[in-house]
Amino acid sequence: MRWVNGAALILAAVMPFILPEAYLYIFGLAYIFAVMVISWDLMVGYTGQVNLGHTTFVGLGAYVAALLQTPLRTGIAMHPAVSIIAGGAAASAVGLAIGIITLRLRGYYFALVTAILPLVFMQTVFIWRELFGGEEGFAVENTLFTTTLEKYYFSLVVLVVSFILMKKIVDSRIGLRFMAVRDSEELAESLGINTTRYKVLAFVLTSFFAGIAGAMVVNYRFTVSPELYGVPLMLLIILSAVLGGLGTLYGPLIGAMVIYLAKNWWLGDIIRTFSLPINDEIVLYAILIAVGILMPEGLYHEIKERWVKSNKQ
Amino acid sequence: MIETLIKIFLFGAVVGGIWGLVASGFSLIFGVSRILNFAHGAAFVSSAFLAYALVNEGYSLYFAVSAGLMLAAVIGVVVYALTKPVRDREVMVIIVTLAFALLVQQVLLVLFGDRGVSIEPFVEGVAEIGGVKVTHMRLLSLALAVICLTALEVFITKTNLGKKVMATAQDSRAAMMVGIDIEKIFLFVMVLSSLLAGFAGILYAQIFAVNPEVSLRALIYAFAIVILGGLGSLRGSIAASFIVGYILVITITFLGARWSEFVMLLTIVAILVVKPTGLFGVEE
Repeated sequence: MRWVNGAALILAAVMPFILPEAYLYIFGLAYIFAVMVISWDLMVGYTGQVNLGHTTFVGLGAYVAALLQTPLRTGIAMHPAVSIIAGGAAASAVGLAIGIITLRLRGYYFALVTAILPLVFMQTVFIWRELFGGEEGFAVENTLFTTTLEKYYFSLVVLVVSFILMKKIVDSRIGLRFMAVRDSEELAESLGINTTRYKVLAFVLTSFFAGIAGAMVVNYRFTVSPELYGVPLMLLIILSAVLGGLGTLYGPLIGAMVIYLAKNWWLGDIIRTFSLPINDEIVLYAILIAVGILMPEGLYHEIKERWVKSNKQ
Repeated sequence: MIETLIKIFLFGAVVGGIWGLVASGFSLIFGVSRILNFAHGAAFVSSAFLAYALVNEGYSLYFAVSAGLMLAAVIGVVVYALTKPVRDREVMVIIVTLAFALLVQQVLLVLFGDRGVSIEPFVEGVAEIGGVKVTHMRLLSLALAVICLTALEVFITKTNLGKKVMATAQDSRAAMMVGIDIEKIFLFVMVLSSLLAGFAGILYAQIFAVNPEVSLRALIYAFAIVILGGLGSLRGSIAASFIVGYILVITITFLGARWSEFVMLLTIVAILVVKPTGLFGVEE
């Protein structure tokens, strides 16, 4: 595994020397998107709690960071590095509050409540239009970087750091407890694990990374808009993680890259070439349904199984 | 003042009746097959849109409504087929039904655009009750909703098939052992619930306007209702739907429609903090 990681990292590092700038821009955004996907995997794949409101925290991080670094809106001009951390912190604080209320209950309440969170937070943008800028959002000032090259490398660094942190978490004793909660809550509890505490911890961590990713998007695109709260983004995250394979981190990472590049690069072109009477969302949702039914374990497990089988022969 | 009160009283009941049709089906599906059907709103909007399209094409209203209901039933069958292979995986059931709901929403967006559409009402005319003008259609929809919900309650508690449904909801394995074909019951409940949602969608489109986005919005109200009434409790969700209807109408009257999602979330959070099992729920 180690040489694959190294090769991928080297490939990502030399990408700017091969690719034209326009594609580099998309790749950088794909890295930030991957942070959203792997952090979702931490909650759903490792801890087994169905979080349907991940974009709530992406949006929260984005708006908090954008407001803190745009003096035109709030009169506050924080350093973007501080505002990005603040975005993550705000997201995890909201995650903590919601987690404490919903995660002490077993079963379906968490999924139900998180499913409606993005729809609710989306409305805040319209209710306090003066502050949040309504559907158009607003331009963000004092951004961290200006050139595409800088942005690309910074997103890559954030992805690598987030990935290593999450890998360390899931490999640690805490990660083992997350998985114990996922596999059997009763059993975990009988072993003396405070399941509620670990579920809430996982939710706070996952929200933190989502908030950071949201704040990164704002600093990357120089604008903030309510689509960051959106359900389509949520489904894109779910699709990437499910396609890659839940509970593996590597699978969702690869899934995120493939899906993001597909959506922003090839898919639109293919549909236009054949002039199909559909939009790319329909194709993605259909793929998600198909993957969910036919291959619920995801590509990672599928490939691993084949690999093991072929090695035995 | 008194007029505002009458208005809230009447309109809250109308809205409550419509969401009651949606939420009772949602609750029934969950109670019987432990499936959280995120695609429940899809039956609601698609039947309304099909009826709208057929009326526009010049077909009679009643034909259009029947066709809309047929489509809702078909969506019920599709959801049954989609969830059957993944029923043991809670995560996948949610993901597949949510994806299907969004798929339907996008198809409707491509076909009809994102503006709201209304269907010609069953009855025209306006009645005046205590100085408040109410369209006959609103009163009729309340009456129809109450009739449907009562019929559902009677069906579940009194008829043979209804008792089989109840038995499956209480313990599907035991139901299987006494010779109930639970697959048939699952399919039947899915179709019945989708029909109720489809009918609610048609009534809603005759009073207000539907757009494809309502498919997800409807879920917020359905969730608030089933959590307030207690997950899986049919009677609870019927009672809760009227409470939620009143909360909705009061919010819209005094704060504006933008706040309705917010207030729904606060309602849900308040219930989860104070009484997580809901008003009529049972401990699992």
